[in-house]
Amino acid sequence: MYYLNEAQQRSLLNQPETGMGYQLVELTTFAFRKVVGMAYNAEIVLERDEPEQKAFLRALALGAHLKSYGQEVRDVKLLSLSSSEFRAFLLREPRAAYAAATPGPAKDAPVVATKAGEVFKRFSAYTNDHRIEADGSLKSGTDATTEADARLVRTGKEAVARYALPNPDPAVNVFTIRPVAATAIQYGVVQPAYGQPGGGVEVLFTHATAARSVTGPNKIPPG
Amino acid sequence: MRVPLDKKWSERLVKLPESGMGYQRVDIRFAGNRTARDVMVFNAEEAELPEEFARLPITDVVVRGAKD
Repeated sequence: MYYLNEAQQRSLLNQPETGMGYQLVELTTFAFRKVVGMAYNAEIVLERDEPEQKAFLRALALGAHLKSYGQEVRDVKLLSLSSSEFRAFLLREPRAAYAAATPGPAKDAPVVATKAGEVFKRFSAYTNDHRIEADGSLKSGTDATTEADARLVRTGKEAVARYALPNPDPAVNVFTIRPVAATAIQYGVVQPAYGQPGGGVEVLFTHATAARSVTGPNKIPPG
Repeated sequence: MRVPLDKKWSERLVKLPESGMGYQRVDIRFAGNRTARDVMVFNAEEAELPEEFARLPITDVVVRGAKD
């Protein structure tokens, strides 16, 4: 895995995506090796058949800091759709490999444990969200998102789009969830649905959280 | 149209898992053996129902499974 420095990230961010969330790039390593790979979130680049690909993509989706895991590179160049490298890449690359590496919905993910201090957010159109008990706990089987992902959402309408909510009412109520360490949880990525793009991180609390673990709501603009 | 659910159904639904953040996909059975399938229920209290079902008495609400 390769990690792009800030200037390289800015450079990619100023150029179009190859597809939603990725760019096909050619790297030059400090040993002057040329590498063709996929840049995700204009931040990391994965080579074809990268063994840890799925784990890195999941970590990236969850907002993890991956800098220490990746090699830095001398240069990065976006490959144009008409380039010979791009056509060669498409011919070699089985499409299913990337589909399989893309995290799916939370309900299909393994159950893991939250870490101490992890914070989650829940967007709701309702101030009186019935998934939240009077004692400030969250009912089992409740969906939310990570704090890092929630930072990308500025309005209730953006929440509807990012979390592919079927209720078109702006989800302007933001609840904060601070579960105790080792709370059971599943992580995934919201799939497109209901005419919304999805793409946000979703977490599913498979068990109820502790009392007083939920606060809010804070209000955001409807958009 | 949005139809508020009776407390009885809301109390049942909040004990069941969500289908996504803030909603559940359910099948609703009505008197007369009619069923509305894949209905969205928001906040366990409001169902998005076709108008033809809106005034019928509900006899059962079942959350749809992942494979439905």
